[in-house]
Amino acid sequence: MNQVNIQICIKEIISSFLNKIKKVDHKNNEIYIHLRDIDDMPVICNHVYTSLNTKLATIICTDEQKNDNDFVIRYVFEKLNADIFIFIIASLKKSKYFPSIVSQIPAAASYEREIKDMFGLVPVGNPDLRPLVLHEHWPNDIFPLRKEFDLKTKVARQEQEYPFLRVDGDGICEISVGPVHAGIIEPGHFRFSVLGENIINLETRLFYAHKGIEKLAESMKLDEVLLLSERISGDESVANSTAYCQAIEKISQVYIPNKAKKTRTIFGELERVYNHIGTLGGISTDAGFAFGAARLNILKERMMQLNESLSGSRILFGVNRIGGVKYDISDKNKKLILEQIEEVSSDFEKIIVFLRSKSSFMDRLKGTGIIPKKIAHDLGIVGVAARCVGIDVDTRHDHPYANYTVHNSRTPQQIMQDQIEMEKRSGDALARFEVRVKEVHDSFKIVRESLDLDDDDGLFTEVPKEITPYSYALGYAESHRGQTLHWIMMGEKNSIFRYKIRTASFCNWKIIEHAVLNDIVPDFPLVNKSLDLSYSGNDL
Amino acid sequence: MTEKSRKILGNHVETRNLDDLIIADNYRGKITFTSETVHGQQDLLESICPTKALSKKDSDTMTLDNGKCIMCGYCTESFPKLMKIENKCPSPTKTKNKLVEYSAPQEHLPEKSYEQIGRELKEKIKKLFGRSLAIREIDAGSCNGCEIEITALNNPIYDIERFGICFVSSPRHADVLLVTGPASRNMQTALLRTYEATPSPKIVIAVGACACSGGIFGDSYATTGGIDNVIPVDVYIPGCPPRPEILIQGLLLAVNRMITNGI
Ligand code: SF4
Ligand code: SF4
Repeated sequence: MNQVNIQICIKEIISSFLNKIKKVDHKNNEIYIHLRDIDDMPVICNHVYTSLNTKLATIICTDEQKNDNDFVIRYVFEKLNADIFIFIIASLKKSKYFPSIVSQIPAAASYEREIKDMFGLVPVGNPDLRPLVLHEHWPNDIFPLRKEFDLKTKVARQEQEYPFLRVDGDGICEISVGPVHAGIIEPGHFRFSVLGENIINLETRLFYAHKGIEKLAESMKLDEVLLLSERISGDESVANSTAYCQAIEKISQVYIPNKAKKTRTIFGELERVYNHIGTLGGISTDAGFAFGAARLNILKERMMQLNESLSGSRILFGVNRIGGVKYDISDKNKKLILEQIEEVSSDFEKIIVFLRSKSSFMDRLKGTGIIPKKIAHDLGIVGVAARCVGIDVDTRHDHPYANYTVHNSRTPQQIMQDQIEMEKRSGDALARFEVRVKEVHDSFKIVRESLDLDDDDGLFTEVPKEITPYSYALGYAESHRGQTLHWIMMGEKNSIFRYKIRTASFCNWKIIEHAVLNDIVPDFPLVNKSLDLSYSGNDL
Repeated sequence: MTEKSRKILGNHVETRNLDDLIIADNYRGKITFTSETVHGQQDLLESICPTKALSKKDSDTMTLDNGKCIMCGYCTESFPKLMKIENKCPSPTKTKNKLVEYSAPQEHLPEKSYEQIGRELKEKIKKLFGRSLAIREIDAGSCNGCEIEITALNNPIYDIERFGICFVSSPRHADVLLVTGPASRNMQTALLRTYEATPSPKIVIAVGACACSGGIFGDSYATTGGIDNVIPVDVYIPGCPPRPEILIQGLLLAVNRMITNGI
């Protein structure tokens, strides 16, 4: 079925742009369109974006100068109604400039700025060329992801100012917050322009937690990068390591055992549960209702204790390995999981009923931090943030991996009901609250179903000792924040040539600037928590 | 104190004795060497360890730097006879070189439970300050794993506030800075400024392998390779992430340090 779709897709692109295309290829669920000239990029991207029902998934730049290929940029589009990724590939041919696609595809903005910082290539036509990843202490002629740059280089600091957007006018003042915040959270800077109490403009400045993960991976062994992928964002360890492993498995064409697929699914869902419960607790705290938070945090702690009994880590570090998983879930542990989720889910249900009955709590969430649907669509946001405005994206359904192929079947009636349900969602903090509650229940269900099945085909498949250099593939998973995409190009001697990570947070951070508009400043923590974005996962 | 701490858990009024809070058997915590000799295996061990926590000292000894170990278990998987991973936490220390151990078997002090440490801490804080101990948490580029555990200190089960320890929202109110992350370059200035904004006397605690040594992120163009390369550190808490049990132990060490420093 998918193969047919792929062929249709390829035909459609070739028929429109035959003379602009050098080569067309496909492998697994990925189509590669190589262009003759990078200047044709905007038209073709725009066509794929508007006519083929896709969204921009990521933009990947690689420094292939050593392989006589100069810098290569890959624009990856994800088809919304089929399990297909379309790569539009072009090489830069000695130039340091490439055409920007921001005016047609707004979601491209941050990717282009990132490429400018890390590779020193300039997106011509992008109106915002301020530094993004590397802050003002960094000189503007050193580019860390170029191959000639050594990971350990210590660059001298320099003093510069970052030009924030200024809002002028009668009675407008600026409030700047961070990077060190009042609560126990990660670092980021927020600059509000307010008129009275209302937020007129918010500018986020991130990348304080930039640790050079992508560059670091190029100097590590494959199983070390696995540890690194877990630490992209500590609370997304299973999702990110699953995506990483799947990319390597896809490159080396290894099929993992059923048992491993189920185990990945179970751990992935357990991760979603403890984080969603934690976020719901956080929402309750920020809405000023400590009692609800306390009750939910007890459940989060219980889930973390369950995590530890199963995997040896409270935040599920170390469950994956390339080719499968590390830990078997014994019969005793199966019982433990069932008992625990039975207890937790019944407690959870009671707490939620209780919270819903508190009108002051519900009032606080209702209408706060509304995400405008059109902008959400244009920025290509993912996960709970997208689902709360009725944009039905979920990697588990759109590109089934692990055991989600099984949990995927919906009857036409269910699909209909889901669609009606989606239409009702209004994009405010309350909608995000409700979506999370629903997903916790769904996750419990998936865990129960995955436990039922008994396979005995081992925990992992061996991957080949030597993977073909310069082969590449895309791995993906749905974390509790949304889709996480990992693209890997292998290098020589089983090294990694390029590891491009795009977590859900990278897509979603921009939306907060729109969600808080016209809310009051004290709403911000609540809106922020209800979106639950990772700083580390964004900053890498 | 004879009365046992009990807490209401879950929906029913069910109580659990907190002295019984236990660490799961398979928790991946501290690496220890068994009595087997490491002779001849050192180079291999060195190459297996992703953070270079294991390194060769002389022909018969290896050193283990707890401040670098991320508890991945790779060494014990490859050499189950030479070393094992236990469900215990490595201890916090006052100096960086105390985090390092040798492959000769070592004596370990009997461990105290979270509750025992908490009570001891409570008494000391009361005596020393006559008020609560104020902590400001700073994330200097962590993966957020350490934050999850620090947040857990505030949940109703660990509930650290009952020992007279509170998290405050400004460095100006803080006695202790709890810092996580490898001190990313982008956070360097902010970290330094926050430190300067904290009134003296102040104690800085580096939390997690990243803060102690750079951890898996090491020392690179984007990191500074540990908090102590930016500000002076008084207590190091190893782990990736450190459990609440060892976080509170680190706080006790910090308070002890304040007592000996004499404020
Ligand atoms: S468990 Fe610690 S010592 Fe062993 S390999 Fe991992 S980081 Fe190194
Ligand atoms: S020590 Fe480990 S858990 Fe803590 S921030 Fe570093 S990588 Fe994350």
